[in-house]
Amino acid sequence: MIATGEPLPRVNRSMFAPRVIWVMWRRELVRYGRNRSQIFGGLSRTVLWLLILGFGLGASLRQIEGYSYAQYILPGVVTLNVLFASLQSAIALVWDRQVGLLREVQVSPAPMLSVALGKLLGGATIAVAQGSIPFLFIPIIGVPFSVTKLLLAWAVMFSMGVFLTAFGVVLASRMRTFEGFGSISNGVIQPLYFLSGSIFPIRGIIGGVGFLDIPEELRNELARLGVYAIGGGWVVQLPVWIRVLVFANPVSYQLDLLRFVLLDFRQLPMVVDLLVITILPVIAALVAAVAMAKRS
Amino acid sequence: MPIVCENLGRRFEDVAAVESVSFRVEQGEFFALLGPNGAGKTTTVHMLTTMLKPSHGEASIAGFDVRRQAHEVRSVIGMVFQEPALDDRLTARENLQIHAALYGIPGRRVKERIEQALEWGQLANEARRMVRTFSGGMKRRLELARALMHDPQFLFLDEPTIGLDPQGRRHLWESIAALRGRGLTVFMTTHYLPEAEACDRVGIIDAGKLVALGTPAELKTSTTGSTESTLEDVFIELTGHQLRDEEATPRDRLLNFARQGGEHTR
Ligand SMILES: Nc1ncnc2c1ncn2[C@@H]1O[C@H](COP(=O)(O)OP(=O)(O)OP(=O)(O)O)[C@@H](O)[C@H]1O
Ligand SMILES: [Mg+2]
Repeated sequence: MIATGEPLPRVNRSMFAPRVIWVMWRRELVRYGRNRSQIFGGLSRTVLWLLILGFGLGASLRQIEGYSYAQYILPGVVTLNVLFASLQSAIALVWDRQVGLLREVQVSPAPMLSVALGKLLGGATIAVAQGSIPFLFIPIIGVPFSVTKLLLAWAVMFSMGVFLTAFGVVLASRMRTFEGFGSISNGVIQPLYFLSGSIFPIRGIIGGVGFLDIPEELRNELARLGVYAIGGGWVVQLPVWIRVLVFANPVSYQLDLLRFVLLDFRQLPMVVDLLVITILPVIAALVAAVAMAKRS
Repeated sequence: MPIVCENLGRRFEDVAAVESVSFRVEQGEFFALLGPNGAGKTTTVHMLTTMLKPSHGEASIAGFDVRRQAHEVRSVIGMVFQEPALDDRLTARENLQIHAALYGIPGRRVKERIEQALEWGQLANEARRMVRTFSGGMKRRLELARALMHDPQFLFLDEPTIGLDPQGRRHLWESIAALRGRGLTVFMTTHYLPEAEACDRVGIIDAGKLVALGTPAELKTSTTGSTESTLEDVFIELTGHQLRDEEATPRDRLLNFARQGGEHTR
């Protein structure tokens, strides 16, 4: 109407609109790039958890399965940053719906599946960026690192990011109002983080220098059960209820795979890890797309 | 084909936001829906624009059913919501780029369309500024230009001049009025009576029911018996003097929170 020139062609209706995915993805990244406080948050979280807690608690814990405590929690801190970044992207949807761009998107003929995909891929990309902040400290904590490891870690983190952003989107679509990220941080992020084997091992042996060495037979016995003792020390015995919660938490398996990639150390069955990392994001993405498209 | 709705209604749990409304808006017409706070104006517009599912009744736009042919309806309408629906961490141009992609404007036409929209909204010099630094009037101009960018046949405006100063209001209204005679059908809601005065036909809605429908002149004669009266007299006559107090909705609470500074998720 305000425009001159020939009329525009009709909008076609396919579920898959690469251009829509692209602009929605780019939007997430542009917003991230302009939000210095998020990058700062990731950095300060990393310093607190990886350096202060890692070396502080590490001083009394010595070793977990032969890894220093800072090394042990490295994948956990990566996960924590992924959790925060994904949920922040997702929860922004509550704003978006009430005072932001989401209504503009919903009233347009753009396919919601593509919009949701753009959002999820964007959230996951930011999660990978935020989750990579702890890698900057690898020289200090001393873990062998390589390009292959980095790429594999990014793949795991990306899948984790898609899943968690999708999970957050579903959560956000059920929230009518929003008055602070605190409830998400305390009610969602921290439980998922603490109950994923991120800061304490699910099983294995804690101790190391100063502890009595475990006899060879016992070590072999434990190895058959899947507990590999490298140093000597105490065998971890988690209360049953914590174990149940840890096993029920999908983040545990994603983190386990990440730890395997970064440290070559695993506490859960590889098959389950791989299933969780490949299947869950796809299911979660579909559920999220439906939640985003839903009209009240 | 015009806008048609037949016994259209919407309930939220136990409240009927819109009880039952029926009307037609003809091609090329400027139609204003007037009503006090909480009358059901936004609910009506949202049902027509496929944002809300009607609880009962039928509505169609250009012959497309708003329930079953949402995609077709969405392709022929442009919409400006009551509250800004912009990404305020993006620049004006970036917001328009997203719009172009959402409406499938072909790549080689995008640049020209964006320049035209910016020009039309008198924002050409602010294209690279983040929307959060815009005044209410600039945001409105941007949204209006955006809503027209894809050549809609129908334009829906939910209280487009709310919160604007008299200059902004006049400017915006003149921009809308300048669209007359191009075949565009405009459906707007408003509190502001001089705007409704300038429309072809007016519907007055109160408590979810359409209480009057006609040209401004018709409404004046039929309600107050005099052509000398204003639409304001008609409005008060029909909707009473009672103040409309409303509970804060979740959106109001969120908006208040946003005004107080919001949160880092923005
Ligand atoms: N999502 C919702 N859930 C519950 N009640 C709602 C919802 N949306 C609107 N209502 C109620 O429906 C009624 C009509 O609301 P609506 O927003 O359509 O009014 P309006 O005429 O646009 O008012 P205003 O001039 O304040 O914008 C109000 O009583 C409102 O509280
Ligand atoms: Mg309204």
